[in-house]
Amino acid sequence: MAVRVQFENNNEVGVFAKLTNAYCLVAIGGSENFYSAFEAELDEAIPVIHTSLAGCRIIGRMCVANKNGLLVPDTTTDSELQHIRNSLPDSVKVRRVEERLSALGNVISCNDYVALVHPDLDPQTEEIIADTLQVEVFKQTIASNVLVGSYSVLSNQGGLVHPKTSIQDQDELSSLLQIPLVAGTVNRGSEVIGGGMVVNDWISFCGMDTTSTEISVIENIFKLQDQASGQVTSMRASLIESMS
Amino acid sequence: MVLYNFKKIVVVPPAKDLIDIVLSKTQRKTPTVVHKGYAISRIRQFYTRKIKFAQQTLHDKLSQIIQDFPKLDDVHPFYTDLINVLYDKDHFKLALGQLNKARNLIDNVAKEYVRLMKYGDSLYRCKLLKKAALGRMVTITKRQGANLTYLEQVRQHLARLPSIDPYTRTIIICGFPNVGKSSFMNKITRADVDVQPYAGTTKSLFVGHTDYKYLPWQIIDTPGILDHPLEERNVIEMQSVTALAHLRAAILYFFDISEECGHALEEQMRLFESIKPLFQNKPLVVVCNKSDIVNLNNLSKEKRSVLKELENDENIPVMEMSTANNQGVMEVKEEACERLLSYRVDQKVKTKKIDSLLSRLHVAQPVPRDHKLRPPCIPEAVLQRKQSGERPVRAKKLERQIEEEEGDDYVLDLKKKYDIEGDQKYDVIPEIWEGHNIADYIDPEIFDKLTELEQEEELRVAAGMYDMKLPPMTESLKEIRELAMQIREKKFLLKDEALINKQCTKPVIPRTAPAKSRGRSVSRLKNEMEDLGVDMEDTENAHFTKTKKRGRSESRNTENKRQRVDVSRARSNSRAPRDEMGVANDEMKFRLKNIAHKAISKKVGPKGLKGEADRFIGNKMPKHLFSGKRGVGKTNRR
Repeated sequence: MAVRVQFENNNEVGVFAKLTNAYCLVAIGGSENFYSAFEAELDEAIPVIHTSLAGCRIIGRMCVANKNGLLVPDTTTDSELQHIRNSLPDSVKVRRVEERLSALGNVISCNDYVALVHPDLDPQTEEIIADTLQVEVFKQTIASNVLVGSYSVLSNQGGLVHPKTSIQDQDELSSLLQIPLVAGTVNRGSEVIGGGMVVNDWISFCGMDTTSTEISVIENIFKLQDQASGQVTSMRASLIESMS
Repeated sequence: MVLYNFKKIVVVPPAKDLIDIVLSKTQRKTPTVVHKGYAISRIRQFYTRKIKFAQQTLHDKLSQIIQDFPKLDDVHPFYTDLINVLYDKDHFKLALGQLNKARNLIDNVAKEYVRLMKYGDSLYRCKLLKKAALGRMVTITKRQGANLTYLEQVRQHLARLPSIDPYTRTIIICGFPNVGKSSFMNKITRADVDVQPYAGTTKSLFVGHTDYKYLPWQIIDTPGILDHPLEERNVIEMQSVTALAHLRAAILYFFDISEECGHALEEQMRLFESIKPLFQNKPLVVVCNKSDIVNLNNLSKEKRSVLKELENDENIPVMEMSTANNQGVMEVKEEACERLLSYRVDQKVKTKKIDSLLSRLHVAQPVPRDHKLRPPCIPEAVLQRKQSGERPVRAKKLERQIEEEEGDDYVLDLKKKYDIEGDQKYDVIPEIWEGHNIADYIDPEIFDKLTELEQEEELRVAAGMYDMKLPPMTESLKEIRELAMQIREKKFLLKDEALINKQCTKPVIPRTAPAKSRGRSVSRLKNEMEDLGVDMEDTENAHFTKTKKRGRSESRNTENKRQRVDVSRARSNSRAPRDEMGVANDEMKFRLKNIAHKAISKKVGPKGLKGEADRFIGNKMPKHLFSGKRGVGKTNRR
């Protein structure tokens, strides 16, 4: 299931939320509409937590997370860290990372088993990622963009990457990540997929501008439908029609 | 995204209103006061401005109208033809052209009269010139009355035209009147077109939208057309023809096989044949409507043979449908959409643009690289819910509901969801405490360490480490203690006393004050000492009686009091003061002083000054020197 939401009239929901299979972090906004959209869908299954990082609400771009752990930048204050620690289940390791590229969400993209990271990331950080998140780490670029976290979204069942990724790159990345991949957009043609949506193994939240073709691509590739239906290939005609 | 928005054309005022607007604006926005006493250049300028202003306003108004209306050569041919059909292209172009000409004429009139204004030699003549100029402009405008009313009507009609995007996915419904086109339209879109049992209910194009395969589709309902030559078609029919001719769309041609519309099947077939050229290169679906009355199978043979030719054509699907009982409606829509979609996709695939999109149509499937399993991690609760397919009723309120209930009093409770049992979750923990960051001192093993320490302590207590024996008190030790206690007490008392004394708020006499005012005198000393029992006899020559006396006294040395002889101590006498230089004796000095006095008074006296140093100026800015007009001449010559 894919849900369209908005954070205070902003469609970049991946900036203001972080969704994993074990918990969900949501930025503190002026009203609770955004939070409640997540709460309504997830609260029965996993904790949905308000938080800020370093006093900012762009938490989705600041941190990197999966069901095993959560990495936050070193600008995170102690009380924020305490709040996160208190709110998350004990099985989740929370760790601060001293990394020059402090917007971790933009430079790292991961699911519960593998992570793609920015080629210039510190080797120490790489180790921390492997330890805390329990993932295999690969230094990669996506469509020659180094900000892998911004231009891709991964779950354990599939992945969406920058629309200009070549077929060869897609195949390569897919074999590396061991999940099916497709190139696409969110929010009516936005290339910044990581900023435009969040996803886990059973649900996805994307911006209010996302078109129905984009939604159907997302639901297909992340296997979010209740019953398995048509694949991306069967939507070829409507994809061509909507994209040109 | 509307390509053609005719709703934004501004209102075209009728000629009379336009004139009123321009004249009143001229009156309001230009100066109104002029006198015949003014310089003639000023009067000319005053009226020139009025003429120019009126001309500019009219020019702007007309330009606005000319620009707002669509240029027939620039818009999509569909709209060009539609405008031609509805408003007559020639008339439309003529009206705009005449407005353009009127605009030029007005410009010329203004130019001419501004030139003539040079010859106006009085206020009256200038005024007449202005009047004539405005009059001529008004007359030119008035002549455009018919054009302006026509354009206003066109504008009102244009604004009500449906916004048809000629480039998007479009399906056009056409056929004879009363065959069920609008009913079908109402079934598949929410356009809510008027449907009546008589023919010709739909008199213009209607647009509705529907969704199919995640894409929006534009459906156009056209007025019914009859079978006669193009020249005889009326405006209503021509709209249908225009849409069919210019829009690259899928076409649904409706047959009424029950012939309830009042036209025989043969007649409908002839129309189909006659407008067939318009269907070329477009996906076409033939729909046999009203199948609830007669369907294809129980149609009489001769009627069926009419349709035979169509049914034999493989490219044209013939579909049965009934809008009355919804049979086949969705099939028709899907067939039409599917045909148009594949047609459009085929065309797009032929272009070069598709190459950039190919990567997005590809699903990269992973090649296994190891034997590790990477299953999805979905919680049991979610899986169960997915399988049962029902959403559980929420027990708790959503945060947003709480916020709405509490209104302004709502405060976000961050600690509500802490994973801590009991009331501990609301414990306040400051980040900084006495200048130290608490987080730096947090020790996860603090409780282990504490129990360890406690055990150690218990062992110590058990070993008797703290059983101290006090030595017995001796006599001298007791004495010392008592004394110490007294000393301490005394110290306390003294301290308190000093504190109280210090708190005295009486004014304090400074020690520099004279002894008398401080109450110090020999007699007082004596008295006090005697009161205390001291023998004060034989103390006449005592040291304390030797005080300074106030008055003059014989005993004091008079020499000290004599005036000092004025002797300069600072410098040697080798150099005399200036007024004594070269003066032989006192007599000469006195004389010289007199002479000097006289000389000075002679110089100063007439001015009424006090002496040489008196530089008094009675009036620093004499009025007569600093006021009034300067004529021709020098500044200082007044």
